Amino acid sequence: MESKVKEIMSAIFEVDILTIDNSSSPDTIEKWDSLGHMNLVTSLEDELGIIFEDHHIEEMLNFGLIMEVLKEVTSDR
Amino acid sequence: MKELKFSEIVRLNNELKNTSNAYSIAILSNITVHQINPILEYALKSENIDAKCTIGDYDNIVQDSKTFSDRKLVVIFWELANLIDGFQYISNDLSSLETEQYLTRFKSEIDFVFKNLSTTSLVILNKFSTLIFNHHFSGRNNFDQLCQELNNYILKNAPANVEIVEIDRVIASVSIDKSVNFRDFYSSKNLYSIDFLKSYVGFITPIVRSVCGLSKKALILDCDNTLWNGVIGEDGMDGIIMSPSKPKGVVFREVQNIVKHLSKKGILIGLNSKNNIEDVEEVIINHPDFWLSNEQIVIKKVNWKNKAENLNEIAKELNIGIDSLVFIDDSDFEINLINEYVPEVYTIQVPKNIYTYPDMIRSKLSLFFNRGISEEDVKRVRMYKEQSERESIKSGFENMEEYLRSLQLEMTILIDEQELVPRIAQLTQKTNQFNLTTKRYTESDISNFLKSNNHSVYAFQACDKFGDFGTTGVSILEIDGDKARIDTFLMSCRILGRKIEYRFLEEIFRDLKNLNISQVEASYLSTAKNVQTKDFFESAKFNLIKENESEKQYLLNLDLIQQGEFDFIKVKNGK
Repeated sequence: MESKVKEIMSAIFEVDILTIDNSSSPDTIEKWDSLGHMNLVTSLEDELGIIFEDHHIEEMLNFGLIMEVLKEVTSDR
Repeated sequence: MKELKFSEIVRLNNELKNTSNAYSIAILSNITVHQINPILEYALKSENIDAKCTIGDYDNIVQDSKTFSDRKLVVIFWELANLIDGFQYISNDLSSLETEQYLTRFKSEIDFVFKNLSTTSLVILNKFSTLIFNHHFSGRNNFDQLCQELNNYILKNAPANVEIVEIDRVIASVSIDKSVNFRDFYSSKNLYSIDFLKSYVGFITPIVRSVCGLSKKALILDCDNTLWNGVIGEDGMDGIIMSPSKPKGVVFREVQNIVKHLSKKGILIGLNSKNNIEDVEEVIINHPDFWLSNEQIVIKKVNWKNKAENLNEIAKELNIGIDSLVFIDDSDFEINLINEYVPEVYTIQVPKNIYTYPDMIRSKLSLFFNRGISEEDVKRVRMYKEQSERESIKSGFENMEEYLRSLQLEMTILIDEQELVPRIAQLTQKTNQFNLTTKRYTESDISNFLKSNNHSVYAFQACDKFGDFGTTGVSILEIDGDKARIDTFLMSCRILGRKIEYRFLEEIFRDLKNLNISQVEASYLSTAKNVQTKDFFESAKFNLIKENESEKQYLLNLDLIQQGEFDFIKVKNGK
């Protein structure tokens, strides 16, 4: 799952997959602005077959937190 | 495209870098549509169109239509529900006076946009739609009324460079639920889903393909189990079925109807079939249920040769690129063979469930989409027939000039002729082989040249004793003091080999001399398809002054030019 998410982020934000770590966030990735966040959310939902709740989207502030949210969402299934 | 995930599209699109001469596109909108950017670019790059997309400012269509009017293509997403915030509700509570006021305002915005984009090559504008907000009930409300009125206004006032998209069909193609992304609409005005955008791009790609000269030009069909049910060589005249009164026949009648319709629109129809030619001719001429006429079938390769070879010969004889052919066959073997040996040909296999066959063909008709079919396209079908008659007398002459003289060629030269604007634009868009610079222009581009003081747009019409070719050659000249530059010089490939191109140049030179012009500049810009014109300017006595891989530049001193070598072609002056 972690590598899949990194793959999606690397494609969407046009960054090297190796540079993504837990603290990667809109502050460290140029293309991660509000439109970029929308692209990320759409792609994660589509490719992982999940649907986020509104609060999840607000909580995904960096890569580490995205993984936390995904753990929660996928364990609910 | 449909199967690709959004992130994959973004990645693949980024891998295909633009060149400096990219096809520039601007997307103007009053909603958020940024996700269309990689999808549209990638779809067009997959068709060999090097697209570079820019998104305009949010809700700034009128201003942006000025800013981006220099782009090759402007796509407009004008969302009715967002004309003003919450318009889908507000519109239903308006008094008739208020309704009029809104309509006046929106119409004047539309006018501004049309005006600002009047010189843009191509504009794609979606019809207004209420489907997303009004599909839960069957009645009509004021929102629908306004929508219809604005759509009527667009249809009535859109200039020729505007292509209008029936957006409800795009929504229907993915379903209403899957078209919208309400979460992102309410958070960021991002109304449409990725699925919608992918489908939308599929709808508009044929339009772009058409203006880039990439539409398909010929449909080549197998015979047995493709044009009729059964095998003529085995089942005989009485055994094959294509009668509309028989369950199996009705499908093939419909397919023949579609083919007939394509032929009437100027698509060249041909046969590529393993059969005895006599058997097939017998069906075409004498079978009571065969629905196409012999005249509509411009080429027949009915033999026992390899079908890939036949397709190559068809392209050669029709003088069109192999990649402008579409081929239909029922056999796995033949379809695989073609995909393997001539992958440039677009293949369609007759489906196993025969009732899906007509709709399958309908779904591929956009391959032939052609912005503004002119009468010339329709004439073309007849002309290819005449061509084969000409070929047959060719052999009896001693030399080429004698042969050409016997054809009694005549040409009429027309300069800056308003009526020919659509045809001239179409020739620049569709001509690939005899085209020295391959510059694509739309009707509004050509109109601008007509208005310009330092441009002349030449065209010629040609005929010979066998028939009329119509308008088949164009040259656009730019005049600068005592110098002229040939911006465009092209000829339809169906009149190649008659020296008409040289006669055309002679006439242009005569006019230039009268304008006291002494020097003519020209260039050859190489493409994958125009190799045959590589040395044309040399053969017309131009001096090569500079050359690299993609371009050759020439200069000609008009004072040194002799005239009269091609006087076996008569020239009449135009209107």
